[in-house]
Amino acid sequence: MIYAGIDSGSRTIKLVLYDTVKGDMIARAIRDQGLDQADIAASLYRETIRAHLGSAATVAGTVATGYGRNALEFADAAVTEITCHAVGVRRLHPEARTIVDIGGEDSKVIRLNDVGKVQDFAMNDRCAAGTGRFLEIVARRLQGSLDEVARAAADSSNPAAISSMCVVFAETEIIGLLASGVPGQDIMAGVQVSVAARVAGMLGNRDPGPVHLTGGVARMPGMAGALSRALGRPVTVALHPQFTGALGAAILASRQNQSLEP
Amino acid sequence: MTCCHDNQGPTLAWFEDMIPHCLEHAQAAKSQGRPIVGILCEYAPRELIMAAGGVPVCLCGGDLEMIGPAETELPANLCPLIKSTYGYHVQKANPFLEMADLLVGETTCDGKKKMYELLARTREMVVLELPQKPDDRDAFTHWYAELAKFRDGLERRFSVRITDEALRDAVRKMNRERKLRRDLALLMAHEAPPLTGRQLLDCKSIISCIDADLEVYASLLRELEHRSHEPNRKRVRVLLSGVPTVHGAERVVDLIEECGGLVVCMENCTGIKPIWEDVDEEAEDLMKALALKYMSIPCSVMTPNDGRIDLLSEMAGIFKPHCIVDLSWQACLTYDVESWRIRQWAEEVGNIPYLRISTDYAPSDSARLRVRLEALFETARSHRQESHAAHSA
Repeated sequence: MIYAGIDSGSRTIKLVLYDTVKGDMIARAIRDQGLDQADIAASLYRETIRAHLGSAATVAGTVATGYGRNALEFADAAVTEITCHAVGVRRLHPEARTIVDIGGEDSKVIRLNDVGKVQDFAMNDRCAAGTGRFLEIVARRLQGSLDEVARAAADSSNPAAISSMCVVFAETEIIGLLASGVPGQDIMAGVQVSVAARVAGMLGNRDPGPVHLTGGVARMPGMAGALSRALGRPVTVALHPQFTGALGAAILASRQNQSLEP
Repeated sequence: MTCCHDNQGPTLAWFEDMIPHCLEHAQAAKSQGRPIVGILCEYAPRELIMAAGGVPVCLCGGDLEMIGPAETELPANLCPLIKSTYGYHVQKANPFLEMADLLVGETTCDGKKKMYELLARTREMVVLELPQKPDDRDAFTHWYAELAKFRDGLERRFSVRITDEALRDAVRKMNRERKLRRDLALLMAHEAPPLTGRQLLDCKSIISCIDADLEVYASLLRELEHRSHEPNRKRVRVLLSGVPTVHGAERVVDLIEECGGLVVCMENCTGIKPIWEDVDEEAEDLMKALALKYMSIPCSVMTPNDGRIDLLSEMAGIFKPHCIVDLSWQACLTYDVESWRIRQWAEEVGNIPYLRISTDYAPSDSARLRVRLEALFETARSHRQESHAAHSA
């Protein structure tokens, strides 16, 4: 049976089709978030199912997650991204005990118990300083795409010190650094250090076990390294880091269906 | 107000007009020459004010609209409760504050303490100095002396004599109200409680011991004592701890209940905290009995505040929560820092899922809080399934 999981995040919508017989994903698709998120999600859903399963096909069940989770009519249920990331990462990395998810507009730390259930979690409060949005704003200020700037930052040997706790003020700080001749790659590396420090603060000094990084920001070169240095322990970038939420949602859709069966 | 069960009587609806009732009561008292005394904390001994013939009115601000005006004089990075209270002062928008002959503050928070200095520029203000090391030998002596000074001050200010008889009478009345409200709160211990947390929260008054209120509490109790509301059985039981959710600032309680939770106990100053213990009305030294009761409120200003852990443990035993929500208003340092201890306690007491929320009165983070609350409830449900499975295995 094929189940779908859809993760409607602040920046992108991610879709996973999951085959319960193979126990694996058979499709992954991603699209930028936009004004009419329900429409974008619905067409991504329709088109991906058609492309992979045929025009008349339907899936056995769908769970939605992410900030737009309650706006998707085609989903059978909505589950938060905290539970979905836990299920998704644990499927790909059964040893995972701590998940760090850095997404477009939030970052979160999820601790799992020994059977992989959520023990507790922490998220950034009313502030975007530890998120993908922060990195995007910096890349724009450095006049490059996030990927380009991050690749350059990976070669930085001297990350700049970014002390502002606020995205807007950090931008001002960065203008000052640029004016005093600090190279862009050092600035981006510095910003990664600052994001990592934020996330490390959320995790606190609790023994986290193996740490896995997910979310769009996990794809940035250098981010896992910065986080690993901040935490003082190895950090593994999860497989398909942008899709772990959608994968978890699809797996939960299959479990939900089981529990409905007599 | 949503119905909690069929044939709901008119009693819950009574509190929808709580503010008009209080206004009417205060205006009538004022016209009879009775003093109106504004209080700003549960440590204020209402009994002494009542025994002096006064009407104690709670002035804690819960309105978001008052925060802007407050920030013309107060820093933005301050607790919304302080700012909202002060905004009413700036705008002269709280009729009870405008009517008040005297304000009584206390030293439970440095932000409030300094705000009182600003209030005192134009309003008559007394500040009770609350000791903050409750276990020290001299703490009680000091608090007792503060209450004695307050009693003398009330007598002088309003040219009355506070007789022991009047004080005992006030103590009895307050005990009666505390008991009624406590018994109402205890209805939530039921597996399918008859009320929502929000409904229970609304059963209160900013003026204590209005006769009509006491009658409604009593009739509500009679009406609900043997009632249950079956849909509430399926909700995730939440023990809400932390800062008070005063009139107008109930949004976190509402969010919890909109996301599938049921607030079965509020371990805070708008819930069980100030009403859990009575004043010994038979005590020979009533002032000592008063001081003892108020001193035992486990506010986060106390250090160490072991009383809060004791109270939480007792509440967890009675109300059987599935999770804990620890609410802190932005910039409330003492509750913010103490949350670490509460998280530890939640883990030690039986691994109860715990969520700390730090927010203010503005609804801008509601979508983000919803994610956290829903995730907390998913976690709580999965923990329960796990423990059920372990029990049946």
